[in-house]
Amino acid sequence: MSKRQLAMVMDLNKCIGCQTCTVACKVQWTNRNGRDYMYWNNVETAPGKGYPKNWQESGGGWEGSVLKDGKIPSLANDYGMPVQLNYEQALFAGTDPWLKATNDPAWTPNWDEDEGAGEFPNSYHFYLPRICNHCTNPACLAACPRGAIYKREEDGIVLVDQSRCRGYRHCVVACPYKKVYFNPLFNRSEKCIFCYPRVEQGIPPACAKQCVGRIRHVGFLDDEAGPVHKIVVKWKAALTLRPDFGTEPNAYYVPPLSSPKFDAEGKPTAEPRIPVAFLEKLFGPRVGEVLGLLEAERSKKARGEESELMDLLIAYRQEEMFKIR
Amino acid sequence: MLTRRQFVKGAGVAGIGAFVPVPASAARKKRDRKALKAKPPEAPSRAWEDLYRNERAATVGDAQGYAFHCSNCQGNCAWRVYAKDGIVTREEQLAEYPQINPHIPDANPRGCNKGAINSQAMYEKDRILYPMKRKGKRGGGKWERVSWDRAIAEISEKVVDILEKHGPGGLMVYAGTGIVSQGRRAGPLRLGSLLGSVRIYPSSAVGDMFTGASIAYGIPNVGHSLDAWFETDRIILWGINPNVTRIPDAHYLWEAKYRGAKIVTISPEHSSTAIHSDLWIPIKPGTDSYLAMSMVHVILKEGLVNEAFVKEQTDLPFLVRKDSGRLLRDSDLKKFPRENVFYFWDRKKNAPVEALGTMGHAKDTLRLGEADPALTGSFEVKGKDGRPIAVTTVFDRVRAEAEKFSPEATARVTGIHPSVVVKLTRDFAAAKKAGITIGFSLHKYAWGVLACWGQALACALTGHAAETGGLDTEHQWSLGGIGPLSNPKPARFASGGLSEWISGRMWETFKTHYSDEREFAERAGIPPAEVIKIADESREKKWLAWFGEPRGRILFGDNIFRRNKSQVHYQKAVLDGTDLYVNVNFRMDSSAELADYVLPGQSHYEGWDIRGDVGYHRFANLIVPPPGLKPVGEAKSEWEICRLLAAGIEAAAKRRGVPKLVDAAFNVKKEGKDAPVVRDLDTLHDDFTMSGKLKTNQDVVKWLLSNVPAFKPWKFEEAVRHGFIVLNENAGFTSPLYTDKPYHSFEEQVHLKRPYPTLSGRQTFCVDHDIFLKLGAAVPTARLPLHPKKFPLAFVSPHTRYGIHSTWRSNKYMMRLQRSEPYVYLNPALAKRKGIEDGDRVRVFNDVGEFAAMAKIHPGTPPHALFMDHAWEPHQFKGRSGMDAPVAGLLSPLELVGGWGHLKFGAEWDGNQMAYESSVDVEKA
Repeated sequence: MSKRQLAMVMDLNKCIGCQTCTVACKVQWTNRNGRDYMYWNNVETAPGKGYPKNWQESGGGWEGSVLKDGKIPSLANDYGMPVQLNYEQALFAGTDPWLKATNDPAWTPNWDEDEGAGEFPNSYHFYLPRICNHCTNPACLAACPRGAIYKREEDGIVLVDQSRCRGYRHCVVACPYKKVYFNPLFNRSEKCIFCYPRVEQGIPPACAKQCVGRIRHVGFLDDEAGPVHKIVVKWKAALTLRPDFGTEPNAYYVPPLSSPKFDAEGKPTAEPRIPVAFLEKLFGPRVGEVLGLLEAERSKKARGEESELMDLLIAYRQEEMFKIR
Repeated sequence: MLTRRQFVKGAGVAGIGAFVPVPASAARKKRDRKALKAKPPEAPSRAWEDLYRNERAATVGDAQGYAFHCSNCQGNCAWRVYAKDGIVTREEQLAEYPQINPHIPDANPRGCNKGAINSQAMYEKDRILYPMKRKGKRGGGKWERVSWDRAIAEISEKVVDILEKHGPGGLMVYAGTGIVSQGRRAGPLRLGSLLGSVRIYPSSAVGDMFTGASIAYGIPNVGHSLDAWFETDRIILWGINPNVTRIPDAHYLWEAKYRGAKIVTISPEHSSTAIHSDLWIPIKPGTDSYLAMSMVHVILKEGLVNEAFVKEQTDLPFLVRKDSGRLLRDSDLKKFPRENVFYFWDRKKNAPVEALGTMGHAKDTLRLGEADPALTGSFEVKGKDGRPIAVTTVFDRVRAEAEKFSPEATARVTGIHPSVVVKLTRDFAAAKKAGITIGFSLHKYAWGVLACWGQALACALTGHAAETGGLDTEHQWSLGGIGPLSNPKPARFASGGLSEWISGRMWETFKTHYSDEREFAERAGIPPAEVIKIADESREKKWLAWFGEPRGRILFGDNIFRRNKSQVHYQKAVLDGTDLYVNVNFRMDSSAELADYVLPGQSHYEGWDIRGDVGYHRFANLIVPPPGLKPVGEAKSEWEICRLLAAGIEAAAKRRGVPKLVDAAFNVKKEGKDAPVVRDLDTLHDDFTMSGKLKTNQDVVKWLLSNVPAFKPWKFEEAVRHGFIVLNENAGFTSPLYTDKPYHSFEEQVHLKRPYPTLSGRQTFCVDHDIFLKLGAAVPTARLPLHPKKFPLAFVSPHTRYGIHSTWRSNKYMMRLQRSEPYVYLNPALAKRKGIEDGDRVRVFNDVGEFAAMAKIHPGTPPHALFMDHAWEPHQFKGRSGMDAPVAGLLSPLELVGGWGHLKFGAEWDGNQMAYESSVDVEKA
């Protein structure tokens, strides 16, 4: 266990699915060097198959103290081959009849965007941004036969030592979130590094700093003055994703409220359109409690009373969302 | 162990791709969890960590600049641009805007997914690198690279040909919606203005005019800066999807929700914004005018009217003749009447009294003094011939009209349960600060004009205006001072909607699609032929401006053959009538590929620029290219291209002995007398550069900073150091822009009682123009959507999060986050009925056109409509027949009027080209 843990809170009530984080990360890290297919940060639609496809059913994680078996997603069918387009042929040479993907992908990182579930007008979905969870009990680390994965003492960031990794991909199998990626060009595994080269200079990770929806708070879990401690520890308003995987993630989520379902006549009911049972599967049994807390604090604020939690989530100044030193 | 080669090879085989099993030994090996926690794994050396540190350092590079993205996005966001060895490496939002007030969230960071990949897009292979001339037929895809000198010389020669043969009106010089900043737009505007060229109104050409607001307020772009959302208690988002289309400002909504605001989204589809709202109201496409009138009905029935506001700020007390339905005018009462003077019934005097502050009244105030206008009643006034005239009030007219639209009566049309309308209206009326924000969807329906007018009425009746909310369309600042730069001489500024109607012979697809005359007449109130007649009347009577069809088109940032409806039909009609077509562009879009000459323009980070007109926030951003940035190919700025054209045209004109053209279409005062404008071709270059003062685009930015009042007191050097400036209080149109408060329109009207720029001087809810009377729309009302029944599905195409219109639409980073090709949204029940599965290729068709796309099964799409994200490039479709191919030509008859008070063609009034009123069918391809 690291001495300190840097963590991130993502507020799903503010996430607009714009993918600015996704491309901020991509341009910062993964648009080169064999990483093109990787999305260290992705935003998927829940419910949905996500990225890589069906990652929640791909195994890995812990069963008690035993690593569960799992699968390596296929590049073509589960991650999706990065789309290439015939710009030159279709637009300049006059040889291709129209502009299209040259590799006809079977899946993309966001294939089932906005789909969700339910029946009109009671359909439901929300956006689920995902990074490496920099787990307290990382399955990837445990699975690596090379000892190439370590958790940094000073901030708990989990890294794959690129000089030791030999690309065996046990980490890919073991990560139940499928957030470790095999780099076919260099034959080694890579993943989200919590932008440590930025963090070390006092600059938040690209996905968080560039989040235009202002959903991401970054700070040390034990820093009582920081936003993450306040939201996660003090207010207990954020939950981890699939806690049943046993890896103890350090990415936290404020779960999503939703508008009421309609009855057969078209009248709104008292029931939220996102089933609580579905949210419990994703975020554990405390979901209902947290949603209740959010509504209660929101009502206080509406009445003109103080609410530290609402003020934290509103985030009056972007810079207050980050406390990384 | 799988080798790298096997992994890659396996990946290439589509359709096989099962998970690759992994040796189980390592994964199944038991590990002691506690031991693991207690003993950190060894990391002999962390020196390797420099790998990623060095990578990051490379993206930071060796030079920095500032930028925004000059597309038709009103976001206007400041970015820092990083470059290494003269090549842009990446960008990041500047995020340095000052917080205006500690109680309102700051504006940081501004900028979205499109902005964040522009560093990649600017070097993509669709980039136009050098001037090209077509070889073979238009659109044949064969090009000859030519030098700048040759391209300019040949184009200039042809321009002078056209000017000689057809006069100034023969040429169009037009900057489309791809270039909307004050710096870059200045070049094409100035050149076109000096030449007297045709330009059309971009807003109406693409269906973005808020005509309902124009009728009500005399200004289409009203409302508030978007930080005002945070202070609003009840927010209705109507036909707008801010989570997709206002990405940098959407946070204010969800932060407002945490503050306690209630947010309602009204839209046909379960949008990305609907998912976060307190209530989503699914409305049937195009029936918004019914819901608006239903709200008005509830307000009147339940007595939720703010009478003091209505009496002073609206024309609702104005008297209307019972016989003709026209407003009672001075001319009804007096032998020597004043124009545009109107009356209300003063309950104190029990007599008709002149309303102050109308367009024709000498007194410029809305103050009622001692008067107490009657809102309701029947009265008799003495006419100029001594005979009595029976009159009533606009308010009574409105009430009679609203009577027809009870929530019960409208439920069948809108699909909304009556109890929802009642609660929506009560909550709206009761809230201290309540607003209706609408987007660009509504006016793409024929009766969006009525929906918006009805929404304005609901706001007026409940007294929501200025700091208590009201209607929010798309607020813009009034910068001022730009005229001498962009409009040194009168240009041929023509209607957008009407011009495209004529250019594309759109009545042809209109007639084809709306062939069931009875069905159309039942909904529109007039048969289709009448719409065509009104369009002709509008042109002949110059209600909307039109100067003839140009024979030459020089287009900047205008994807003309993407944005127009009936795409295939329009394209043929326009190209058949065009002798010269020049397209200035940074990438080969669906319009550049059809040009005779393509000239390489700059993308967003390459040239100096400034933008400050967008009223979503108070910051004007600059583009300051990173020092040492290498040009991309032979790209030049719009200013430089226009300067070269000015020099080329001057030289050609002199050589051919046409130094000047007398332009009789416009007069100027010369020595006290009217004289026609002279187009001085022989001094064109000197005139363009303001006698050498404005040689470069940097000079233009300097000029703007010293001449635009709203930019003061910022100095060029200071602005360049910051990357943005803060607009001063003069930027507001109808209110001051306070330094510490969000902006709201109409404080001058509400608090200082200054008249609105309307005929009545008030918020206007009675228009007695002949066409309005003929259509039974003298006061706000509702009309059914026009979707012909012969095809079963309404076709609606709202904006996407992956492009600003077609900009970035075909970029590979954006394509990768979608489905790699254009797709349509189908409700699962519809798909099942049609035997269509997710991922199938489908054909979408009607009697106007068709296109092919992938089916995306989407439970949030209503069952009787087909939705598609906006603005895929036509060249992304099979056969290059794009998504607008099956959209029929259509103008809204109410928007074609003119010559009535404030409904006069210009920046505040024009008719839209409709986009969402066509029906289609779909089948598996």
